[in-house]
Amino acid sequence: MLDRTEIEKGVPEERLVQKNTGPKKAAPEKSKTNKRRSIIKGVIYALLILLAIVCFIPFLMMLVNATRSNDAILTGFTLIPGSALLENYNTMMEYVNIWNGFKNSLIISVLVTVLSGYISALTAYGFAFYTFKGKNFLFVFMLVMMMVPGQLGLIGFYELSKVLGILDTFIPLIVPAAASPFVVFFLRQYIKSTLHPSLIEAARIDGASEWKIFHTIAIPIMMPAVATMSIFTFIGSWNNYIMPLVILFSPEKYTLPVLMGFLKGSQVAQNLGSMYLGIAISVVPIMIAFLFFSKYIVNSISAGAVKE
Amino acid sequence: MSLVLVIGVIAGCSNKETSGESKNGKKVDLKIWSFTDELKEPIKKFEEKNGVKVELTIVPIADYPTKLKPVLESGVGAPDVFTGEIAFLKQWVDAGYWENLSEKPYNVDELSDNYVPYVFDLGKDQDGNVRALSWQTTPGGLYYKRSIAKEVLGTDDPDTVGEMLSSMDKVFEVAEKMKEKGYRMFPDEGSIRWFSQGDNPKPWVNENNEIQLTEQKIAFLDTAKKLRENNYTALAPEWSPSWFEAMDKPIKVKEGGKETETQVFSYVLPTWGLHSVLKTNVEESEGDWAVTNGPSPYFWGGTWLGVYNKSKNKELAYDFVKMMTQDDEFLTDWAKETGDVLSYLPVTNEIKDDFSDEFLGGQNNYQFFLEQAKSIEPGIVTKYDQQLDTFYGNAVQEYVDGKKSKEEAIKEFYKKVQNAYPDLKVPNK
Amino acid sequence: MNKLNRYGYIFVAPFWIIFLVFSIYPVVLTFYYSFTNYSGSGTAEVVGLANYKRLITDTYFVEAFFNTWKIWGINFALQITIALILAAVFSDMRVKMKGLAFFRSIFYLPNLITVSSVALLFGILLDWQHGSLNMVLIKIGLISEPINWLNEPTTAQLSVSLILTWMWFGHSFIVVMAGVSGISRDYYEAALIDGASRVQTFFHITLPLLKPILLYIMITSLIGGLQLFDLPMLLTDGIGSPEGSLNTMVLYLYNQAFKYSNYGYASAVAYGLFVITIIFSAIVFKSMYRNERKQARQV
Repeated sequence: MLDRTEIEKGVPEERLVQKNTGPKKAAPEKSKTNKRRSIIKGVIYALLILLAIVCFIPFLMMLVNATRSNDAILTGFTLIPGSALLENYNTMMEYVNIWNGFKNSLIISVLVTVLSGYISALTAYGFAFYTFKGKNFLFVFMLVMMMVPGQLGLIGFYELSKVLGILDTFIPLIVPAAASPFVVFFLRQYIKSTLHPSLIEAARIDGASEWKIFHTIAIPIMMPAVATMSIFTFIGSWNNYIMPLVILFSPEKYTLPVLMGFLKGSQVAQNLGSMYLGIAISVVPIMIAFLFFSKYIVNSISAGAVKE
Repeated sequence: MSLVLVIGVIAGCSNKETSGESKNGKKVDLKIWSFTDELKEPIKKFEEKNGVKVELTIVPIADYPTKLKPVLESGVGAPDVFTGEIAFLKQWVDAGYWENLSEKPYNVDELSDNYVPYVFDLGKDQDGNVRALSWQTTPGGLYYKRSIAKEVLGTDDPDTVGEMLSSMDKVFEVAEKMKEKGYRMFPDEGSIRWFSQGDNPKPWVNENNEIQLTEQKIAFLDTAKKLRENNYTALAPEWSPSWFEAMDKPIKVKEGGKETETQVFSYVLPTWGLHSVLKTNVEESEGDWAVTNGPSPYFWGGTWLGVYNKSKNKELAYDFVKMMTQDDEFLTDWAKETGDVLSYLPVTNEIKDDFSDEFLGGQNNYQFFLEQAKSIEPGIVTKYDQQLDTFYGNAVQEYVDGKKSKEEAIKEFYKKVQNAYPDLKVPNK
Repeated sequence: MNKLNRYGYIFVAPFWIIFLVFSIYPVVLTFYYSFTNYSGSGTAEVVGLANYKRLITDTYFVEAFFNTWKIWGINFALQITIALILAAVFSDMRVKMKGLAFFRSIFYLPNLITVSSVALLFGILLDWQHGSLNMVLIKIGLISEPINWLNEPTTAQLSVSLILTWMWFGHSFIVVMAGVSGISRDYYEAALIDGASRVQTFFHITLPLLKPILLYIMITSLIGGLQLFDLPMLLTDGIGSPEGSLNTMVLYLYNQAFKYSNYGYASAVAYGLFVITIIFSAIVFKSMYRNERKQARQV
């Protein structure tokens, strides 16, 4: 995890530092600056570590309290884990099946990610390599719609789902999320600069169908960009709260975020230990996944911002 | 091609989700929705008796109406039987989601004499047809700890203690005595709202859509503040973990820069508070409790249930309703196990005389509550109750915390009501 | 060629079908509802501009507007300051800091957690009498009396701001770092040779060159901030307590529609929110752009 980063790599710092402390300065002075520098460095590290601890403390409290009983938590806080983990778990499961929420969230998020990746790639490719009437209008219109916040259509969306009879199903949570202007825009910019039209021409001359060209040439080239966007799509779908809150009614269909709100109103809330445990279960798998993907996620965020 | 495939997968998925199968794939014969877990045990018995599989869905009460309404309207994934809490009962009997039980083959009107009249009447829609029935009646009381009563008041006899609490002034006298001995009268200030509500009860909204804030409800602002200022409560808000904890064990209160350990003397709860709140949370002080009256009679909550009119399994659904509300054998067992006070007179008349509950040190809570039930005024239920109670609760809280004056708090309450329900008329101030 | 270009339509068709049905149509439908008194069932009666008239005089909407700004503003100022300081520290060539990847990951972590979990967690951590936070603060002697975080308007809003900062500064830090790494090293070399101090380098090189990235952070954060919902919804009672201080615009929209069944009015609230978002995004964009032009002229 502690690998040297892009910035450190790309810079000839040694040379710079030497220039600065140049030949004019005497040797003892140089060691003095070095000493001062390492003190500063130490202080900065201490502050960084403090900040890291502040970042992590709420999670720590959560994890410790998840193992303690309700009356222990009410009495005071300690860092020593308690022994009520199993009891808390049973209390929670009696009212709320949190794993079910996990499953629902996973089904929805995975399908949204796959569907959005595929449809967006298709659309981006269509916009980038074909000329058809109204193309520019459609593209600009899409960009304008990118600015519209999701809440604007919330009420109309709810009514539409009611009319279509798809309330309380996953469909309104999956299908609409598959059409994301932002992803289309990003992929179009990407493929415009990475795929040369001559490659497509060559494939056509070889007798490949348009679908085949898309699947065998365009998709592989777009894959890195699709992966970048998929991370955002997945996180966005996973964390979505207001849509499933409005659309889903039956608790067994609740996604994790809605289930969390449900937890607050349920009888689990009588027992703080179970409450903490429920939150912990919703959080810890994400943390573990992050351990593996942190590099990709960080790179995606950087890429998403710079390409903008 | 693959697009078709993906859509196929989604369709497949959602189909599976919406079909009548339960989580573990077994066939479900009956779906029931409710807002508490109190039906869990009856459902088990019902399953055994009929050899069927019932699925119970519990939605917390704050979301229950908002979640259930669209389900009933669309019929997708809808329950066969669903319950209604008194706060939104009125709205639902008129909405027509419940099967008309006055018609054939149910003909429940023939049974009307078997029920406590107000309970039966509340289940009727505007045309007088019965839509829902209830097994319980929910007059309120004040549960207290006998040991503390003995120590502080010199007696634990419910009648004598009840006499000591028969007016608000007397309640404060007792609260002061409690404080002197290091106890707290109530867990929180909200506890006493029922007494102000039960004193000269009026519906929140009258037939002209005018909001009615009675003098008694306004007076509640002051009593609540007095409780807080004199440190008569343990600062444990209703339904919070500390509120539950304080029933059984000493609790720490941080106040004025110091932490003190104290015990709570009493909880203001109705009939169902005994089995679904106290009994499930109390271990150590079992048998140390008793129930008596407060300054005024009140009632709180109550669960009605009926058959969804689009249910495909109405017969079985009504069987369940019948078991819950008309089955002598089941109801007798239920009453004896839980101490719940029934509205079904054939059973209550049978058991009321020699009823005694171990949890309450052998007290006959049945007779006490049946006596209290006589003063229930069912006419005060409106469809706005749930939200208006929340708004007024906030107003009281802000006054108690000293953030607003009494006038400001009331004004703010009216403003909120007007904002949420533009059709309601509030006094011009 | 014509036959080929037919594929253009085919390829963009799935997107547009879904987009039209599920994104555009609801927005239009909501617009229609904003002129009616629709209550969720029954028929919608057209009432003209009544909802919009009510909106501009609605003190709760105005309150929600200012709350949202206060909460977002404090959070953004803190978040961007921390992110910039961190970026300055990690990009400093004289004090070569190690562990960027490690710290970056730790700082970013809270951002990944589902907001409703975060809200629930802080809801119980911040509890007045029995919250672990007050207990720890009392134990280490920082406070003597427990703070009723979520019962006072100021502390409640501050709590939400700080939680947002906690969640987002790591994200901003990553984005700022991405911007910093895009700045040519030549500038820094030149500054170093000229003997510019750290502070000078930061304010005269890093900050101006980061402007596009800061604009990006600000606009995305603003759009997200104006839609603040999950935290205030789950932190207190869901109607904006204490004293309406956590009543945000989207929370207000949700309550009007799905709690009080005033769908018509809620639709107008949605459009009010939309107009506000557009106006402020434009202002941010304009002011940043104009500054740039001014500077260019000065040079």
